[in-house]
Amino acid sequence: MSARRFWVFIEQEEGKVHPVSWELLGIASRLASEVKEEAHAAGDTVHVECILLGNQVEGIAREAIKYGAERVYLVDEPELENYRNCPYYKCIVGVVRKYEPEVFLIGATTLGRDLAGAVATSLRTGLTADCTGLEMGEVKGSKQRLLLATRPAFGGNIMATILCRQNRPQMSSVRPRVFPMPPYNPEAVGEIVREEVPLDEKDTEARILEFIHDQAESVDIEYADVIVSGGRGLGTPEGFKLIEELAHELGGVVGASRPCVDAGWISYAHQVGQSGRTVRPKLYIAAGISGALQHKVGMQNSDFIIAINSDPNAPIFDVADVGIVGDLFEVIPAMIKNIKARKEALA
Amino acid sequence: MNTQDEKIRFDAIVVGAGLAGSTAAMMMARAGLNVALIERGQKAGGKNYFGGAIYTHAIGEVLPDFMDRKPPFERPVTEAGFWMLSKDGGLTKMTVQGGKLGAEPADAYMASRAVFDVWWAEQAQREGALLIPKTSVVDFIRDSAGQVIGVSTDRAQGDVYAPVVIICEGVNNLLTQKLGLIDHDLEPAHVALAFKQVIALPMDTINARFGLPDEKHGLAASVLGDVSLGLPGMGFVYTNNTSVSVGLGMMLDAVVEYRLKPYEVLQRYLRHPAIAPLIKGGQLMEYGAHLIPEGGYRDMPKLYTGGAMVAGDAASMVNALHWEGTNMAIVAGKLAAETAIEAHKQGDFSAQALSQYEARLKDRFILKDMKQYRNFARFLETHPEFMDAYPGFINDALGQFFSAYGMPKKTLFKNILGSLTSRRQLFKAVGDMLSMGRAVMGW
Amino acid sequence: MFHALVAIKQVPDTTNIRIDPETGNLVREGVPAIMNPYDAHALASAVEWKRKLGGKVTVVSMGPASFTVTIREAVELGADAGYLISDRKFAGADTLATSYVLAAVIQSIHEKDPIDVVFFGKQAIDGDTAQVGPGVAVRLDLPIITYAVKIRDINLAKRHIVVERKTERWTEVVEAPLPALVTCEKEIAEVPFAPLPDLIRSLRYEPEVLTMESTGIFDAEHVGVRGSPTVVFKMGTPPLPEAGEKINSREIGVEAAVATAFAKADAAGILSSVLGGVK
Repeated sequence: MSARRFWVFIEQEEGKVHPVSWELLGIASRLASEVKEEAHAAGDTVHVECILLGNQVEGIAREAIKYGAERVYLVDEPELENYRNCPYYKCIVGVVRKYEPEVFLIGATTLGRDLAGAVATSLRTGLTADCTGLEMGEVKGSKQRLLLATRPAFGGNIMATILCRQNRPQMSSVRPRVFPMPPYNPEAVGEIVREEVPLDEKDTEARILEFIHDQAESVDIEYADVIVSGGRGLGTPEGFKLIEELAHELGGVVGASRPCVDAGWISYAHQVGQSGRTVRPKLYIAAGISGALQHKVGMQNSDFIIAINSDPNAPIFDVADVGIVGDLFEVIPAMIKNIKARKEALA
Repeated sequence: MNTQDEKIRFDAIVVGAGLAGSTAAMMMARAGLNVALIERGQKAGGKNYFGGAIYTHAIGEVLPDFMDRKPPFERPVTEAGFWMLSKDGGLTKMTVQGGKLGAEPADAYMASRAVFDVWWAEQAQREGALLIPKTSVVDFIRDSAGQVIGVSTDRAQGDVYAPVVIICEGVNNLLTQKLGLIDHDLEPAHVALAFKQVIALPMDTINARFGLPDEKHGLAASVLGDVSLGLPGMGFVYTNNTSVSVGLGMMLDAVVEYRLKPYEVLQRYLRHPAIAPLIKGGQLMEYGAHLIPEGGYRDMPKLYTGGAMVAGDAASMVNALHWEGTNMAIVAGKLAAETAIEAHKQGDFSAQALSQYEARLKDRFILKDMKQYRNFARFLETHPEFMDAYPGFINDALGQFFSAYGMPKKTLFKNILGSLTSRRQLFKAVGDMLSMGRAVMGW
Repeated sequence: MFHALVAIKQVPDTTNIRIDPETGNLVREGVPAIMNPYDAHALASAVEWKRKLGGKVTVVSMGPASFTVTIREAVELGADAGYLISDRKFAGADTLATSYVLAAVIQSIHEKDPIDVVFFGKQAIDGDTAQVGPGVAVRLDLPIITYAVKIRDINLAKRHIVVERKTERWTEVVEAPLPALVTCEKEIAEVPFAPLPDLIRSLRYEPEVLTMESTGIFDAEHVGVRGSPTVVFKMGTPPLPEAGEKINSREIGVEAAVATAFAKADAAGILSSVLGGVK
């Protein structure tokens, strides 16, 4: 009899949790349920757990339980106040070695990607980056189900499913917003286990001298409810003014396809797609975007997609719930007018 | 390594690694000259989209053992001629197969220029020429007497010296103008815009659809009739090993005048009931457009000056709508090289010495090849039976063909020329059309 | 004297990858191979610092003989020497096996000629994993600074480097002891247009080729397929979603087209939910 542990890294900075951490707990719960039957038959137990590092972050540990963690391994040290690669990965590796989880998921954020490669290499195990699909599947030659991690390759044109047969844990980094948020249960109970990992001086030699907060307003397109995106069909950078206006009317944010970002029409923070952000808003409006696969993989999980393009054969229409074939410079003003009228009627 | 005050010197400089340029570099390097072959693209022939037939007589003249060097040929041309598309969807084929077309090596092979030009430049490198890519020649270095003694490039410390420079810059003839050999841009009425798609299909499917016994047989057809909206233009269909090149060429002035979107014109042509089934289910591999000077020797610049010569498209040595530039470019590159080699022997690079080049060209092209290898004329010359069999029909075809490309077009496009006076407009228009293609294709 | 080592990879130019509009398949033919753009910027930064501090830049790459052109390109951009790690036994390596080989080579170069800074691009545009740089740092026990946008200082006397790294939330200024490993964003330095003499030198440059045998530094257990814990289980094309209705605004008029589209969004309960939140 053994314990099969499904682990998630809880990412926090300044006491704020990156929501992808909760999404990961949702996935871990599902993966755990996929092996329940086989574990039961073998007399094994299955556990959804997470690991959290920081300074005075026990409150976050309690939140994690409400998002589905049975147990939170907490390393709470002043030295871990701010994220740094070396002390973080060494702590995590220490705790992983102790409990030997079967699966370990980390968010594919800048912090998570910085961390995941170091953890996996230190543990000498396999890591599949930027996964968009995860399941515990039967694999020939393996008694237990294995983590089948699917990720886009070549700009989303090919989906590759990767597995890690022998080494443990089976690690994946997962893009924010690819998977839904799990239910939040305020009544949930779980255990917080404090861990201590000794660090030597060399581990903390790299120091953060200062933080520079960007003056420019940061856009959070990943978690926006409404996104209006513009593509090359806008013709000029000025075209984004119209996009902004519609986004504003809808209370949403502005997205963009890669060519516009590459051309310097708008900043990278707005880029939707494989090489930008993955989004899943309630409403996604794509204007003048032809719909290259690398864009589509970043937005096809949106609840409702409206595409506007003058070319009736534009591939963006393939993922749209409704498409308007026409000139975006006519369609968008009409949309703005329509929304204004609706809002007046509501008021 | 060169330091700042050490000049970069070669025995000869060739500008542009297309077919003419690589040929010139190959010949000179073989004769023992230290040759710099300067190419502005990432790869040799970087700007050449055009595929089509490569004539082996020109290749063999430069490289007798070419077949042993594994040229990236597609199928040999074993069937050639004309297809006529009618407005109601019909197709009349006037092609010839067998006879001379069955010889080995064949008279002509299909090839993709993007691939073939790289191979051809490799042959020049094998002879010892140094291919310098990603570098644009922007001007000439002259001595006090005005003789060209080198070129300057767009790179830092970028001057390169040589007593002789061969310009093979292609259709965009800025350097030729800088040399004062021609005083104007090529006129839109003398430039064809050719655009094509390469569509991948299984070998067996190509064989079945085009009635070819196996991959050792290939078809090269010029397509007339309902091709280009009734405007002067001609289509083509080539069968490669596992792809089909289909496209058409139109005079640039017509494209600009009627604000045509080449991609849409091409799509219309590809949807013709006689063409569509041939490419059905295929996968688009390439979409490209290219300018081809079509003026023929009417547009030819003066071909030499002290220390420099011009060859290939830059010298308008093409007859585009007959898909005939490649062999002329190769022969011209060879003749320029021979002239340069001779100049090195004599130690004389003056205009007088290089005038030999024009003499050699006149001897080769204008008197013989231009006539002999002109596709259409040649076809009729070598297949008189064809004219006997279909006299009425061929007369109609000829009538259409020559009224499109001959006399009347001058008057037809007179007005257009007035509106297209600057190069900027001309090339901007082309740029717009290309970006249109990209937008449509989602590149 | 400053010694920078830059790890570079050759990748297909994915920005140029074309998709068949009908089948949605990748058109691989004719896709040019380029130096991974992030690596090119990392190299440019290394060369800038070499020019400031005096010293040299060494590049390493792992791949088949065709990667020679990428090493030549590095020489064109200012690298002084290049190594190509090339052996059939290395083929099929995942990121773990790749970091093993690179770390072993970097270690052996370091022993002969101590390295101050190891540069990587933040990720390769073909794999997008961003794992090899951190992996090499862990194996060599070097401090790692990822997502670097600016190197403020490299102080060879005090033995430290100060780097600005950009995260989703802010920019951090990090100081780390040398030797250190930095993975770079494009902002780190502009890729220069090389002077002609450098280009000409690069065209004739032959990198030293390192194999299992020639180096004797690799354990066969850790390289190539054998050293790779992950395997590709299957490959496929993404499922095609079901396309929704297309409305032609030229036929029914723009306002009617918008009204129809919004009615569909209403029916799905989207618009009311969205507008409910808008003041």
